[in-house]
Amino acid sequence: MTYRIGSGQGYYGDDVTRALPMILGEHVDVVCFEALAELTLAILQKDKLKDPSRGYTFDIAIIASKILPEAYKRKIPLITNGGGLNPLGAAQVIYETAQKLGLKGLKIAAVTGDDVRDRLEALINAGEKMGHLETGEPLDPTSHMLANANVYMGAKPIVDALNAGADIIITGRIADPCLYLAPLIAHYDWAWDDWDKLASGIVAGHLLECTAQVVGGNSLGVIDTIDAAHLSQLGYPIAQVESDGSFVLTKTPDTHGIVNLRTVKEQLLYEVHDPANYITPDVITNFTTLALQEIAENQVRVSGVTGKPRPDKLKLTLGQMEGYMRELIFTVGYPEAWKKVDQLKAMIESTWDGLPIERVDYSYLGHNSLYGNIAPPNDDPLEIIVRVMFTAKDEKTLKTAVRKMMTHGLSGAAGMSISGTTISAKPRIVLGLFPTLLSREHIQARIQYKVVE
Amino acid sequence: MTKRLYDLAYGRSGDKGNIANISVIARSPEAYQEIKAKLTAERVKTHLDDLVLGDVVRYDLDNIEALNFVCHDALDGGGTRSLRIDPLGKSLAGALLYMVWDD
Repeated sequence: MTYRIGSGQGYYGDDVTRALPMILGEHVDVVCFEALAELTLAILQKDKLKDPSRGYTFDIAIIASKILPEAYKRKIPLITNGGGLNPLGAAQVIYETAQKLGLKGLKIAAVTGDDVRDRLEALINAGEKMGHLETGEPLDPTSHMLANANVYMGAKPIVDALNAGADIIITGRIADPCLYLAPLIAHYDWAWDDWDKLASGIVAGHLLECTAQVVGGNSLGVIDTIDAAHLSQLGYPIAQVESDGSFVLTKTPDTHGIVNLRTVKEQLLYEVHDPANYITPDVITNFTTLALQEIAENQVRVSGVTGKPRPDKLKLTLGQMEGYMRELIFTVGYPEAWKKVDQLKAMIESTWDGLPIERVDYSYLGHNSLYGNIAPPNDDPLEIIVRVMFTAKDEKTLKTAVRKMMTHGLSGAAGMSISGTTISAKPRIVLGLFPTLLSREHIQARIQYKVVE
Repeated sequence: MTKRLYDLAYGRSGDKGNIANISVIARSPEAYQEIKAKLTAERVKTHLDDLVLGDVVRYDLDNIEALNFVCHDALDGGGTRSLRIDPLGKSLAGALLYMVWDD
């Protein structure tokens, strides 16, 4: 018998209800929901500032009301890092929902310990350098722009919670693939230094953690074979894992999508740097020794993964508030389209002169906005869409900038139009990331349990 | 028809901070040998010079006949800092696959 892990979420806002068919059909032994992209925690910090009881992902409520009752009935545990900055708050939502639904005996585990925002100065005093991972720039722990500081923790607290009989586990920043590795360690009792097996679990987790992306979503490899009408309903993936760590990647039976060598290869390298040294808190994984084999329709076997000892340091990512951005879109057409673009840019520059605008970026949609100077030149285009992006520390400056531009309606380039929805749009927050490293001895996960009566 | 890298390979790109990676996955064993021999990191850097401001590092995966290019300073600051229309670099694989392949 294999142990079957289902994937129910790949980002904050993913369609978690597509985890239902795998649960209703009892095609899985556990389902994991991965909700935290690099910037998600900084975004959740804004929610938490407005209301301290928030700071978790909204998807938690859907998981609690729609998925948990069906999973609990079948004794299929659920694991999610959607607790974000407030796993205890998320656990409370789940508790209240479960109580309303009468899920007596349900055991909820909330994992904390990844949030070090209030410990930064103490950590620096303890000798942690915490320079920027890419630039080496030192960290300013007192910056009021700091939104969040969360360490990527490993699988251990989830393993402990599963062993303690938890039915749903809510965490903050656990490294994405470790969410999926944890139930394997708990089920097969793998040793914490059985590197090849741990690494196999990481590869399974890595292939699962973006849900539809391994089932034909965002895929060039199967662009000619996937049915366009199925894209919005792609089934979510499942890994059927053997005790030695090898596994078959497949999708929920009777759902749309494709799992083949192409979709697996695409996802295998997604957001990966050195494939021989894929670093996670629990193991360093080598993707270059593995073998892929298509054993049946929608079934790809993965074997031969190898691993190396886990790193001494954990990754810590800080989110920093840097201000706000806005977008305006103008369109000019034939004749003299490029000359009109020059006129528009000159108007913007003189209009905004003196305003504390920090960055301005122009791109030409449909011409070179994606690929820059790879785009072949077009000397006399029929139309040019000008996208103007600009940033400031405060929202008011951006509003003033837009209002000033709008006073020139009758003095602008001949025949120019402006997209009305961009004039009335709300500004978007500019966030910066500060990745660094922290010794693992400083991080101690804490698990709190609550049972529904 | 102009022959392009896309005729030999497909791929996917994504982000981590201000770093983007682009996988280039060969369509056949022969295509893999050809891209492995000719699609150097320098060539990729030259092709993407308007988009990737930092170094490009290539990693080879003979086991799945694919190359992985890690592109530094490739996303105008990355994530929600970037002012680009594609701040997460999802389209960068397409930029690379557009490379003319006439040698």
